[in-house]
Amino acid sequence: MIEVKLRSVAFLVLVAVSGAPQLLAQQNGLVSTVVQRDSVPNASDTVAALAARLAELDQQVRILTRLHEISADSAAAAAKDKQSVTASAKDGFSFKSADGKYLLRLRGYVQGDGRFFANDVAVPTTDNMLLRRVRPILEGAVGRYFGFRLMPDFGGTSPAIFDAYFDGNFTPAFTVRAGKFKPPLGLERLQSAQDIMFAERGLPNNLVPSRDIGLQIAGDISDGLFAYQAGVFNGVADLANGGDDLSDAKDFAGRVFIQPFKSGSFRPLGVGIAGSTGLERASITTSGLPSYRTPGQNTLFKYGSSTTTPANNVFADGRRIRIAPQGYFYTGPFGLLGEYTISRNTVNKAGAVAELEHKAWQAEGSFFLTGEKNSFKSPTIKKPFDLAEGSRGFGAIELVARYGELELDPASFPTYASLTTSVQKAKAVGVGVNWHFTRAVKVMVDYERTTFTGGATTGDRESENAVITRFQTSF
Amino acid sequence: MKTFALTLLFAGSAVPFGPPPTPKPVTLLNVSYDPTRELYEDFNQQFAAYWKNRTGQAVTIRQSHGGSGKQARSVIDGLEADVVTLALAYDIDQIADKGGLLPANWQTRLPNNSSPYTSTIVLLVRKGNPKNIRDWGDLAKPGVTVVTPNPKTSGGARWNYLAAWAWALRQPGGSDATAKDFVTKLYKNVPVLDAGARGATTTFVERGIGDVLIAWENEALLAIKELGPGKFEVVAPSLSILAEPPVAVVDKIANKHGTREVAQAYLEYLYTDAGQEIAAKHFYRPRNAAIAAKYQSQFPSVKLVTVDEAFGGWKKAHAAHFADGGTFDQIYQPGS
Repeated sequence: MIEVKLRSVAFLVLVAVSGAPQLLAQQNGLVSTVVQRDSVPNASDTVAALAARLAELDQQVRILTRLHEISADSAAAAAKDKQSVTASAKDGFSFKSADGKYLLRLRGYVQGDGRFFANDVAVPTTDNMLLRRVRPILEGAVGRYFGFRLMPDFGGTSPAIFDAYFDGNFTPAFTVRAGKFKPPLGLERLQSAQDIMFAERGLPNNLVPSRDIGLQIAGDISDGLFAYQAGVFNGVADLANGGDDLSDAKDFAGRVFIQPFKSGSFRPLGVGIAGSTGLERASITTSGLPSYRTPGQNTLFKYGSSTTTPANNVFADGRRIRIAPQGYFYTGPFGLLGEYTISRNTVNKAGAVAELEHKAWQAEGSFFLTGEKNSFKSPTIKKPFDLAEGSRGFGAIELVARYGELELDPASFPTYASLTTSVQKAKAVGVGVNWHFTRAVKVMVDYERTTFTGGATTGDRESENAVITRFQTSF
Repeated sequence: MKTFALTLLFAGSAVPFGPPPTPKPVTLLNVSYDPTRELYEDFNQQFAAYWKNRTGQAVTIRQSHGGSGKQARSVIDGLEADVVTLALAYDIDQIADKGGLLPANWQTRLPNNSSPYTSTIVLLVRKGNPKNIRDWGDLAKPGVTVVTPNPKTSGGARWNYLAAWAWALRQPGGSDATAKDFVTKLYKNVPVLDAGARGATTTFVERGIGDVLIAWENEALLAIKELGPGKFEVVAPSLSILAEPPVAVVDKIANKHGTREVAQAYLEYLYTDAGQEIAAKHFYRPRNAAIAAKYQSQFPSVKLVTVDEAFGGWKKAHAAHFADGGTFDQIYQPGS
């Protein structure tokens, strides 16, 4: 249409400026004789000039038409490059700038648990249904190199901030993270709560912190062959979700992790070691010491404290060291994760100082009956749950099993441990099944039996037989 | 440990017996420059058959084409290319430098600086060569309309520009100043700057605009083959540039997609006799000497210079000519 209009305009221009008298002469017999008489000597030149002029104008029209086409193509391409809004089970809801450098993404997950205890005669434990985690996640990219993450948790008894950090992603081999996040220690702790094999992490998780505030550098070298993290942190007690520091001294934590083999894009074997060291100077009012939990989330060890004689409260007073060798192996539908953790704490009770070394280990494995590829992260489900004809799917079924032990330093007893709530050793064996309906929905059922020895003066504590169920939805 | 043994036991019991499973089908995205559509349509079919025969795995290759520089930016900005087959090394360098998607030494990972085929720049004129265009100098004459794409977005256009500049430098008394003057005059004769080489071909061939198209040799020969020798002629200039379009696996994307192995094989297949034959049939100059000799007659004889010889490499050439504020920005103002 445009082309037709432009050609019409060109024709009118041609008539107006180049050859109007001659063209009119050809179309009007009344004046043709006069015009022919005046033009005869230059007729061939005029025709040639007209042809050239016509060709020139034809080119002009073609050029204008083409420029219009290019302009339309550019406008269409620009429209495609506009900011995008996306939604998916994998990446949540996001707003992204056209160049991808600015991104705001909303994700989150909710875990609703049931905890049921069998044969809890001597130590009755309340069966309970609870919201274990309710975590919206706000992530973003600010320019090419910087990003952030904010993750509060509204599960449990009171809201708390778990992740709040800022990243500088300069190269894969060098990134910087500042804020509150997981220190580089326990392997299962570093796995997302959405991806762990069992509803609750195993016994070694007691000996590493959950979150701490600090500054970390990290990198991934040779396409995952070698990874490192090193950071300085406030320093918090085992299992704690860190906040303000209790003393001037800081903790230093580091981890190296090697994945020597490669199968396609996948590195099936990973082994590494992590550690931390720091000085803790707490007080009888703020102990700076942890308590430890069973897989059923009941307290199995606690340091001594007293409201009537607070001077006898046990508190952290010296060096704390953690060492955590770790590894995993994934092949096809099978996955295995193992770790060993030592946490050495210097404690003080009324001037009596002791260095207590607690140790834990576990091995856990999982297998996808439905053939999904196992990895450190949740699987890509082959046939997501769907009742529709033609795309019918059942989801993925994963069987899990584990064994773990936690041994508290015998020197903890009887001086430093709470003798009413502490055991000296725990052994836990668990099995379970996970049904991954889709990437977004998972149901877990675990049974874990934990046996206890030593500790309390009244004899070995009754075994814990916990059935834990979980409904998890994430986006 | 008993539990661990039990774990292994139930895991093992669930392993299915029978013949090894058929490998899962895989899809590759090849992000390429403008004129390679036909080459890769042909090549992809043959590679898919080869790969299926070798591994049993079905592979589907999707193609994306556009101006080379624009394609590189798309990959940097998130277009998930398993492999890139672009017009010039500088564009893949950008993907390595700015996107961090492959290592800086990517060009050493395949033979011939990762360029499995070469080409050059020629002039395509209308039948009978009505404006009597014989060499680069004719393109700067008044009254000649030249079609070439935009060097800001098109790799081919950058080769065009540099070929003209290199010719001017080698004229008697040639210098950067005379070359700049020549190229300025040439671009004053360019009425339309398409985003890519294929667009420029459309402008010249289908829209009938211009007296001469500065084109990839393969694009010019393809136009003659498709439209018949009765409409266009190739004019080989006295000197042109050796264009070495490179290829590379985009490591991070291929690793993410789990396509590293097939992506690598895909590019290596370009170097095989079969791949070289396909390239030659689509008017790319093969690297393989025997196959190059076999197809020698279809390529005009042109004296060639390399970017390294004439400009000290792509990074220098880009900084001097095509970066913001470079020579091209100085000599060409849109609408002027």
